[in-house]
Amino acid sequence: MRTRRAVLTVLIVWLLALAVLALLAIQHLRISTDLRSFMPPPQTADQKLLMDQIGEGPGSRLLLLAIAGAPETTLAELSRGLANALHKDARFEQVVNGAFDASALDEQLLPYRYLLSPTLDTHTLDAAYLGEQLQQRVEDLASPAAALLKPLLARDPTLEVLALAERWSPPKPPAMRDGVWFSSAGEALLLAETRGAGFDPAAQGAAIDALEAAFHALPNAGTATLTVSGPGYFTVLINAKTRSEADRIGAVSTIGFIVLLLLAYRSVPALLLAGLPVVSGGLAGIAALALAFGSAHGITLAFGFTLLGVAQEYPIRLLSHRRAGEDALTSVRALWPLLATAIASAAIAYLAFFASGVGGLQQLAVFTIAGLVVAGLSTRYLLPRVLPARFRDAAATPGLAAATRFLDRVPRPRWLPWLLLVVSLVVLWRAPGPLWENDLAALTPVPQDLLLRDAKLRGELGAPDVRYLLVLQAPDADAVLALSESLAPQLDGLVKAGALDAVELPSRYLPSAATQRARQAKLPGRAALAIALADASRDLPFRADLFAPFLDDVERARSLTPLSAAVFARSPLGARLASMLVQRDDGWLGLATLSGVRDADALAAFTASTQGRARLLDLKAASESLVVAYRERILRALGLALVLLAVTVVVALRSWRRALHVLAPMSLATLLVLVVERASGISLSLFHLVALTLAAGLGLHYALFFERPVADAAEARRTLHATLVCVISALLVFGLQALSSLPVLRAIGLTVALGVGFHFCLSILMAREGSAKD
Amino acid sequence: MLDRPLILHGELEYSGPGKLGKRVDMPYKEQTTITDSSASVQRGDRPPRTFSLAQAPELEGFLRGFSALLAGDAATLQRDFDLSASGSAAHWQLQLKPRDERLARRITAIEVDGAQNTPRCFRTHEADGDLGILLVDTLADTKLTTRPSPAQLDALCRGVAP
Repeated sequence: MRTRRAVLTVLIVWLLALAVLALLAIQHLRISTDLRSFMPPPQTADQKLLMDQIGEGPGSRLLLLAIAGAPETTLAELSRGLANALHKDARFEQVVNGAFDASALDEQLLPYRYLLSPTLDTHTLDAAYLGEQLQQRVEDLASPAAALLKPLLARDPTLEVLALAERWSPPKPPAMRDGVWFSSAGEALLLAETRGAGFDPAAQGAAIDALEAAFHALPNAGTATLTVSGPGYFTVLINAKTRSEADRIGAVSTIGFIVLLLLAYRSVPALLLAGLPVVSGGLAGIAALALAFGSAHGITLAFGFTLLGVAQEYPIRLLSHRRAGEDALTSVRALWPLLATAIASAAIAYLAFFASGVGGLQQLAVFTIAGLVVAGLSTRYLLPRVLPARFRDAAATPGLAAATRFLDRVPRPRWLPWLLLVVSLVVLWRAPGPLWENDLAALTPVPQDLLLRDAKLRGELGAPDVRYLLVLQAPDADAVLALSESLAPQLDGLVKAGALDAVELPSRYLPSAATQRARQAKLPGRAALAIALADASRDLPFRADLFAPFLDDVERARSLTPLSAAVFARSPLGARLASMLVQRDDGWLGLATLSGVRDADALAAFTASTQGRARLLDLKAASESLVVAYRERILRALGLALVLLAVTVVVALRSWRRALHVLAPMSLATLLVLVVERASGISLSLFHLVALTLAAGLGLHYALFFERPVADAAEARRTLHATLVCVISALLVFGLQALSSLPVLRAIGLTVALGVGFHFCLSILMAREGSAKD
Repeated sequence: MLDRPLILHGELEYSGPGKLGKRVDMPYKEQTTITDSSASVQRGDRPPRTFSLAQAPELEGFLRGFSALLAGDAATLQRDFDLSASGSAAHWQLQLKPRDERLARRITAIEVDGAQNTPRCFRTHEADGDLGILLVDTLADTKLTTRPSPAQLDALCRGVAP
């Protein structure tokens, strides 16, 4: 006989322990949001580069902006206003809107223009060339181009700054109206490059907020609208969606669970106490994450509600199997062998997640296994001691007897499983669509129309493709630039031949030191230049002393040290170059972005001819190879998990015949889930496979409990009651996930919900051997 | 910037609203064709360079004023410019100040001098202090010195003796 004091003591100690755990968890756990945690880990060098590029590459930090909803002049003003406001914001490296930006080259770096511009490759600053240039300038002054030239003329009569600006603007710029870029639909276009990495939702979120604030602070923003697109924007979107979905699923699951338990047991104390093992499990899981990883991914915690769907079973079994005249402790001891088997099999199923090697899934495995074990143990040892002595016998639930009789009378033809097997195999063979989902992009939760809009803006702005990269390899940064220069002519040839629209090589921004020195050597001395200049401008109406700043600049340029990537990095365009030159352990990599690739084979042939110094990286192919390689590993892990489950069953039941009664429905149900998914055209991804194992782990319990020979009909009814409550709550949790807009959650939710349903039906049909009569 | 004015000779062709052709014969050969909103400049043997009029508001402003003037479209003139007139039918002067602020940033005023039905002198005062003068019709053949003074040009335009 337990005393009230003993009950209260246990309860209070338990609650205190939970509170301590909660505090520890909150203090030590950091939430991470890098979406790459849910991608298979990279193996080959290409795959590693792929993962780096997705997060940090040249294209990943670009935000595409479009302003619409006002007359053209206003839009142009807004474009200029926004660009100006963002120039001062440290969160943005660069903002381009087509307006000629003389500040593209730092004031201090201006004399370097003679080393950076390709003019000196083909001309010398002699009297003939200067004469021709100055004549052009005179004519330009009389032409519409005068307004552009007047500020530059004295310092830069050969217009090197303009040549550089043209070289550095996107290879295929959009149409220009009123001095800024406009799309074919009449929107003002801008490109903004953020300082934060593309896959960092916090940094991207801050940048996008700053952008929108700056836009709305503009004086004539009025009715105009700002559209933002790009990888960073999608990251922020996905993050917000995930969080709101997780909250929603969590809230609805919890409410549904509470209602269900109230209906099943009609006892509020029972409900509250039944929640304790689950809450303990949850907190233990979080503590395990904090200990093992130090941080948890937001999506992992959202998935964590799968724990609820699994761990609820233990207290429910205990509650349903109590019978009059029996202590809760005795009931639980009777149940414990099967419960222990159930815990073990669920843990094995989750080990499959762990074997996948995917960071986020490993976290989920640790969280869930820790949670399951703690929930199970607290159901065995703590819950019985605190349950109220009075309870309703589940066997007496109205309608349950009728349900049991109905299920007993359901025909169980021996040929049914074989028929199902044959039909399944036929459907699987003829199923539409590919079997495997290899495209990582199919896992993205971004709505289709936003992706289309992004593609359209990308096309208009001439922003680089996110699919292809040309990778150059060399011992150091300067060697990369030299290699880049040597490959430029062939690539230009490919562009002219139409194999691709444009290529942006690192050497486009910064020539190698050798090239800079060669150009420097061609610069004339001050005296010689002065004479050439005087000669050239003899018949021209320029003022005598007009070009003194030009003479100064050339003289300065003659003694400059060639510009290195490190120094160039400090200029406004430095970040662009920095993202194209990457240091690796065994050398440096140059990354050249490609736009509008039409003939990948021609490119591949070109790279083959460089003897390995240049490589074409197809990010899509690399990601698919990643998925395929990983699938092999997962399939092996799953196979092992299923074998282990079978072994567990045999060991627990100690009889081949009984084991068969349990394993047969389990296998058939797994097959049926596959059949239903394939028949609806779903291609299987990593997550479907993992979810199948989880469903098998859960379904095993139903078969185990139905298979168990029971003493009397009341016990059979209790078994049915417990199983029904478990099934309904599992369907609730996983069914909600199946409705999620996140493909990963949807895959897992649908598979497990279907699995639970099929396992339940087939267990009833195949595991029970007929019941004792009442 | 220059120590003497640039003087060009050529032919201006007005083929309707928004369509202007300017051919420079002396001292170099250049052909500028303006249609609607883009201008194309071709010099000597070089390939033509095209750019949108939005990048050259002075040209656009001039074109609009010129078109409206020749078409006798007082309404458009009134809409785009602030007008003030002086003189008589024999010698009149029209001053156009652009209303569009984008244009006003580049051009302070355009002065048109003419006699009877014909405009003969267009003076574009640019915001940065430069002055562009277009002498057409009977004034086109006037012999100018290499450095005509502003007073001389003014007198020429007004049709009075210097």
